[in-house]
Amino acid sequence: MTPARRLALRVGAMAWKETLHILRDPRTLLLALAMPVLLLPLFGYGVSFDVDHVPIAVADADRTADSRALARAFAASGEFEVAPGADAARAEDLLRTGLALAVLVIPRGHAEDLARGRAAPVQLLVDGADAVVANQVLAKAEAVVRAAGQARLISLAGGGAAPVEARVWTRFNPEGRSALFMVPGLAAYLLALAAVLLTALAIAGEWERGSMEQLFAAPLGRLEIILGKLLPFLVLGAVQFLLVIAVGTAVFEVPVRGGIALLFAFGLLFLVGMLGQGLLVSVLARNQLVATQAGALSSMLPSLLLSGMVVPIDNMPAPLRALSRVVPARYLVEALRGLLLRGAGIEVLWPDLLALAIFAAAVLTLAAARFRRRIA
Amino acid sequence: MGAAPAISTRGLTRRFGAFTAVDRVSFDVERGEIFGYLGANGAGKSTTIRMLCGLLEPTAGAASVAGRDVAARPEAVKAAIGYMSQRFSLYLDLPVEENLAFFGGAYGLSGRALRLRVGEVLERAGLRDLARATTGALPGGVRQRVALAGAVLHRPEVVFLDEPTAGVDPVSRRDFWGLIREMAAGGTTVFVTTHYLDEAEHCRRIGLMADGRLVALDTPAALKRAWVPDRVLVARGRSLPADRLRAGAGVRAVEPFGAALHLRVDPEAWDAERVRAELAAGGALDLAVEEVEPSLEDVFLAAVGAGAPP
Repeated sequence: MTPARRLALRVGAMAWKETLHILRDPRTLLLALAMPVLLLPLFGYGVSFDVDHVPIAVADADRTADSRALARAFAASGEFEVAPGADAARAEDLLRTGLALAVLVIPRGHAEDLARGRAAPVQLLVDGADAVVANQVLAKAEAVVRAAGQARLISLAGGGAAPVEARVWTRFNPEGRSALFMVPGLAAYLLALAAVLLTALAIAGEWERGSMEQLFAAPLGRLEIILGKLLPFLVLGAVQFLLVIAVGTAVFEVPVRGGIALLFAFGLLFLVGMLGQGLLVSVLARNQLVATQAGALSSMLPSLLLSGMVVPIDNMPAPLRALSRVVPARYLVEALRGLLLRGAGIEVLWPDLLALAIFAAAVLTLAAARFRRRIA
Repeated sequence: MGAAPAISTRGLTRRFGAFTAVDRVSFDVERGEIFGYLGANGAGKSTTIRMLCGLLEPTAGAASVAGRDVAARPEAVKAAIGYMSQRFSLYLDLPVEENLAFFGGAYGLSGRALRLRVGEVLERAGLRDLARATTGALPGGVRQRVALAGAVLHRPEVVFLDEPTAGVDPVSRRDFWGLIREMAAGGTTVFVTTHYLDEAEHCRRIGLMADGRLVALDTPAALKRAWVPDRVLVARGRSLPADRLRAGAGVRAVEPFGAALHLRVDPEAWDAERVRAELAAGGALDLAVEEVEPSLEDVFLAAVGAGAPP
């Protein structure tokens, strides 16, 4: 028998055994395949960063045509639900009780200031408890006020157009839909969680049952055990990846503008790294309870927080930004956004591919080296 | 025979830090022999087996199994042996035949040869009808037979069984030893640890371990002669005057055993005839006295108690 054939036989025996374990344990399959189908819509629909219909109270102390025109401008923008007739003295209560997310205070003399060509400031109080929402409210309110001010200037100048004006054309996600932004992140998150957790559990299980000793007593090489153990999970992960992309395109109309082959190259390379991470966790933990927790933490937290899925990497403080460089999910998210939304190709995305390859190689080498150091 | 021994150790030693688990153990096991390895928990039985199976490197000394050095060529040793570990031998969630197919594959069997061989060992172990049963649903005794079948799929020269009958009912244990004897008759060397001393009677030779050292090594009969020099007698009857015997010179032990008395006596001074006469004189009725062989339990207690060969 040639060495290659012997290797294939033994890896095949391991992989087949592992496949049977998976098929006989519905929980594993459910965890791997139902999770994307359930979580994707939850995150896609439920987690939306789009803020509209912001309840805003208007405390109009001026009560003139000009001040009412400004309040109308807020209502007309479609972004705000205007509640007129608020009392400026109670503005903070409105925010505290949650009746309004913002309060517009128009001071007495607003119209007069305008008429005399003086600056006519208005006050905007914003609930900053949720920073993401507050930022959006602020931006929208400023836009409304700026537009109102500009319109006034133009009419004073006797008509015409504003001298400088940016005409914005948002590409790749023109409606600014969260789903498009989230699906690549979710793909990384789900893939990381399932791959690391399932691998860690399966291998820690062999240690815990004592079956690892039986495997070592057979003439199975370290590599044969590892390969045989990981292959079925690679296939399972690939199916999961397909599922995430399929649900993303079917339910959220996520476009696939880049090459399919490159998409799979990214998916598989990321998976290999995650399987390696699962292997490493199981080698270090050696029992299923610890492996579950370490596996979940080491995959969930980085891919959720440091991947750029939710928090933009550019907004992170420098230490976290540096840390995100060793989080493989970051590169997958980056690449998937490029591939799916922008239609980017290998000439743009090769650094991400390289980073994923380096991570996979490093973690597998480390795990394999730590594997089989001691028995019992 | 006449060929090189199936297993040979010389000064085999394994230390874990300051603790010496196996201390300068030397023995030879012949081909086709059933070799029993006895000792209390922690005496060094499993550590010896792990070294012989190429799973653990010896700290000092040497050992060869099937003519292959365990330290220099552990992978070659693994291919030539079967191993049934104490804790685990099977995947309980898989059917019997899938367990066997997996271990066959791990030892390089495939395709038609694998299928034939799985059928063969199932047949021999009397498990044909259970091929598709889930292993975890089977009783312990049956599982152990499946595990043994899995350990011999690749026709190993030497089989190591670490406490194979622990927690198994007596009938299943008897069946299991039937399989072991069949294997040995077919030329397979069997190295088995057990703490059931009655089972050790099935072994051709026995090694006794205490605190990492091999304190005795011989056939069961020779061990008994060497370690239990007393004559052992059993007296049955009614109104047995036990105290009258205890008073006799050369009577070393008198223990009630159910309705009978177990006696250990000086073989120079006492035999069955003299005991019968003594008991009859003391008023015993329906008297029957016979000499029995000492049990391995007597040997074990004497040898492990002494800690060193006589």
